[in-house]
Amino acid sequence: MADDEPKPVTRLRDYGLQSERLLWPTKGPSQFEESLGVDELERALGLTTLEKAVRWAQTKSMWPDTFGLACCAIEMMSIVSSRYDLARFGMEAFRSSPRQADLLIVSGRVAHKMAEPLRQIYDQMLEPKWVIAMGVCASSGGMFNNYTILQGVDRIVPVDIYIPFCPPRPEALMEGIIRLHEAHLAGIPPAYERNGVAT
Amino acid sequence: MTQWSDLPGYVSERASADMATVTIERERIREACEYARDGLGFDMCVDVVATDYLEWGGKGVSGYIGTATGRDLNKPMTEGLQVLPETKPKRFSISYHLLGLRQGAPRVRLQCWAEDGESVPSVVSVWPTCDWHERETFDLMGIVFDGHPNLERLLMPEDWEGHPLRKDYPLGGEPVRFSDAE
Amino acid sequence: MATVVDKTQIYEGTRIPERVPTILDLPPELRDSEDVLQVNFGPNHPSTHGVLRLIVDLHGEEVVGASAVIGYLHTGFEKTMESKTYWKCVTYPERIDYVGYQNNELVFVLAVEQLLEMNVPMKATWMRMLLCELNRIHSHLIYLGTSALELGAISMFWYCFRERETILDLFELVTGQRMHTRYFQVGGLAEDIPSGFYPECRKFVEWMPHALDDYRGLLDKNQIWLERTVGVGKLSAADAIALGQTGPNLRASGVDWDLRRDQPYLHYDQVDFRVPVYPNGDVYDRYRVRMDEMLESNRIVRQCLDRLERMEGMPWIADDRKVVLPPREELHTSMESLIHHFKIVTEGFRVPAGEIYVAIESPRGESGCYLVSDGGPKPWRVHFRAPSFVALEATATCLRDTYVADLIAVVGSLDAVMGDTDR
Repeated sequence: MADDEPKPVTRLRDYGLQSERLLWPTKGPSQFEESLGVDELERALGLTTLEKAVRWAQTKSMWPDTFGLACCAIEMMSIVSSRYDLARFGMEAFRSSPRQADLLIVSGRVAHKMAEPLRQIYDQMLEPKWVIAMGVCASSGGMFNNYTILQGVDRIVPVDIYIPFCPPRPEALMEGIIRLHEAHLAGIPPAYERNGVAT
Repeated sequence: MTQWSDLPGYVSERASADMATVTIERERIREACEYARDGLGFDMCVDVVATDYLEWGGKGVSGYIGTATGRDLNKPMTEGLQVLPETKPKRFSISYHLLGLRQGAPRVRLQCWAEDGESVPSVVSVWPTCDWHERETFDLMGIVFDGHPNLERLLMPEDWEGHPLRKDYPLGGEPVRFSDAE
Repeated sequence: MATVVDKTQIYEGTRIPERVPTILDLPPELRDSEDVLQVNFGPNHPSTHGVLRLIVDLHGEEVVGASAVIGYLHTGFEKTMESKTYWKCVTYPERIDYVGYQNNELVFVLAVEQLLEMNVPMKATWMRMLLCELNRIHSHLIYLGTSALELGAISMFWYCFRERETILDLFELVTGQRMHTRYFQVGGLAEDIPSGFYPECRKFVEWMPHALDDYRGLLDKNQIWLERTVGVGKLSAADAIALGQTGPNLRASGVDWDLRRDQPYLHYDQVDFRVPVYPNGDVYDRYRVRMDEMLESNRIVRQCLDRLERMEGMPWIADDRKVVLPPREELHTSMESLIHHFKIVTEGFRVPAGEIYVAIESPRGESGCYLVSDGGPKPWRVHFRAPSFVALEATATCLRDTYVADLIAVVGSLDAVMGDTDR
């Protein structure tokens, strides 16, 4: 196969991922896209019409699980409130049972004692499932670099979206959720298929 | 003025900025607490705190010690010399903060000292609120309370080894480049 | 004024469990029975209290045994703060009680200032008072919204959070952050009060009593609310004192004790407010205490605004450059300011050796900071007396003779924030 001429780089935004296009139009392929394999993007993201329809339905009603741990939980409660209304995305039904939830928003610092219940809840969720690490404490341990806080929840569950800030504004959390929706619509598989699940 | 020397087991007293600190012998702390509750009218035990003084004063303090009014030339601080804070009698101090629910909000701190391995009589029978405070102290500092009905780990997982708040227990976490924590 | 409890009878008729005060044991006749079901209200549960685990024994619908397991949010604040300089430590206490966050900041900053024997300018103390009272309203709104939500009055959640958003807008206007503001510094406030704040705060203060009337109209005489909360989770005055309760839990049990009035800090002796006390000690009384406290906090905020509006142009932080960072404009012109800035940021200011315990009235009760300093730039030992920790000790006593449906009401009314409990 002649590899002389460089293949045109296909970007995620060509597959409809809105946020990439809006933010930085001239940026090169991101680490994420490279990890997906730019060459395999077509294979990975090519979606049939049926798949597109299913994904559209999944994003419009992705129900989160009530996993509020600490301060970020208060901001998570405020996106359900009337000013930053999460019901417009179909997500105001926070399910308490992980069996009925699609999305696990880990909001708050995870102590080692809580890591085991967190992992159990993640395992009890049915596929497809997504995890958002909300706040710096869930993403990386945050300001607590000590004996008792898990330095990043991605040590035990695969994470799709990391949202920084301490605590994230409700708009920041919604931006994270919207990006997750777009990624799913564009065809990016959830994190456990990409990264594998730690055992 | 309250006569602190009436407390059983009284050793010494010291007036701090906020309240009197009365040192009590370790074995008689429960009687002292009972006397404080019944005789001196301190109805409530607000807090039980243990402090680990391992290596206290190991790094001497020198230089300017900040106060609101600036440097007082009549109290010349350390004059550039190393000054060590006063030495402590034993490794652990256990402070019981007591509060009287009446006019003037009288408070007192009853303090007893213990070495590693020495046990302290529990005051759960005097104030039931000390149940969890003493459990937390045991969990984080490793001080055993005699007579506590349920001395188990409270905040750390049950199978945790070590007592995290001791000075010889490392802070943990992961190393961060270019930070002053390493 | 304060209820003087007869000490010799403190255990006669007490409902505190005998063996372990915080664990409700199965009564002897049920110990070998097969009708008792042990249910785990695990750390992740539908109610919004955070990670509290309750192991509950049920005999039919009645709760016959209960014990609380905490520690799922233990963050090691005290140990972490021992390794940071005082200036960096100020960001940590806020995350302890993440609903009434400025009160925790206040107590730590007051402890350091008292060890330093610093004089804080009046504008700063009045503003601190105003923000702490707004935070009290914020905390009680969250309590009201979430406990009503759990008992089924879902619309309260929306209304309370609407007011809460206004308060957070005010915080953002002043400090730049909605939550965890880090606005209180050792010596005063981090920055001056922006000019648009007073009219906005006035608007909120004028609106708040109407909102409270709305809430009262929804819940106060609501038959369902009354049936679910009156007589549930009783805590007598003697038991409350023995269990170390403070704040609304203590005042709902009939003990007239409020640190703002009885041991005034900041300028609480110069403002006029009432302290609500109710006699019964059940969930309904705790609800009423908190509703009244919101109204009183509103009055205090109004009085603080009156004072602060006359204080334009006054300093907002102490002038001692050895402790407080110099203003940035000076760094370009003055060599000493540059050196002070450098020393304070890298090494930190030193606090004289000593130990101190400072207590304030946070929305949950008496929040205290015990600080031991060795004369160096980092604290030797910091301990926070957490009112939620002590409030959860009362679960076993309050859950005596209740049904499983009341369990949620009781735990909600104790208003325990798990960050505060586990620290």
